[in-house]
Amino acid sequence: MQTIVKFLKTIFLVDLLKGLWVTLKYTPQPAFTFQYPAERRPTAPRFRGVLRLQTEPGTGAQTCIVCDQCAKACPDDLIALGGHREPGQKIKVLDYFDFNLSRCSFCGLCAEVCPTKPIKALIMSEDYELGSYSRDTQILRVDEMYDGVVIEQYTR
Amino acid sequence: MGLIDHKFEDNFITTSIDRVLNWARESSIWPMGFGLACCAIEMMAASASRFDIARFGAEVFRASPRQSDLMIVAGTVTKKMAPVLRRLYDQMPEPKWVISMGSCSNAGGPFPTYSVLQGVDKVVPVDVYVSGCPPRPEALLYGLMRLQDKIRKEGTVLRKERTIMSGDSEPTLNSDLSIDSRAPRADSRGARS
Repeated sequence: MQTIVKFLKTIFLVDLLKGLWVTLKYTPQPAFTFQYPAERRPTAPRFRGVLRLQTEPGTGAQTCIVCDQCAKACPDDLIALGGHREPGQKIKVLDYFDFNLSRCSFCGLCAEVCPTKPIKALIMSEDYELGSYSRDTQILRVDEMYDGVVIEQYTR
Repeated sequence: MGLIDHKFEDNFITTSIDRVLNWARESSIWPMGFGLACCAIEMMAASASRFDIARFGAEVFRASPRQSDLMIVAGTVTKKMAPVLRRLYDQMPEPKWVISMGSCSNAGGPFPTYSVLQGVDKVVPVDVYVSGCPPRPEALLYGLMRLQDKIRKEGTVLRKERTIMSGDSEPTLNSDLSIDSRAPRADSRGARS
């Protein structure tokens, strides 16, 4: 009896149809895939992207006070910044801000210690699209720190 | 393609052939599963249905280097692993590309120690560096698109020569000493450490 059942199962491909039925059950569902280059997923509120220097909104004035605390807080010594004093100006003028992106582990300690208020000078932005062709372009200079890394659009 | 490499001048026929070849290459980059650390989790996420690396024709993670075009080095490369990585790279058939994924394989990451290779470009030529720790799956897809852009510009006939960076390839932060005010910074760094 058992052999006959097994024989009939083999003839009518019962196991295969069972598998196909599972596939068919999932077919009418909408696609789960996230079409990345066309649509961008919003990041989490505490997401830590690449470092960014902020200016005062409106005036565009420099908010960084060149206190060097971010460079001291960095566990891997990836930040180097410096400035000079202008006569008559209260805060130091930022001359250079070099950030070595290639080693950064995005821990956020530098942005955490930044003491500037009410606008934080150094923040972790929401940019995560970081791809470069060489090691030299992974050192971000002042202008890239202000404007962010250029994101190339996908072209066909 | 060994017969026509570096043989012809640029003309209508060779550029057309290049275009077809590049189209074929960019739209089916089969990566080799080379996950070494936590970045491999994001690489798996990129290949799963949510992000679906198959949309770029790169879904077939081959277990063998002989069937793969792209090596995604995802994770910390230790010095013990480096000769294995180089051997696997040598076993891949031409044309082949390398994506360095994550801070560890880009530059050693937070491990400037005796046991960790300071950047995978010390042993294999890297085409695209994807920064992040680990990079999001979208960032890996972005790196893959940058690689496709690069492949599109390549020529089989006038193929670029590849160089392997060796020695101290890490650019230093104060290397650009054109501004005079950078000199005091070096002093203060020395005093601090």
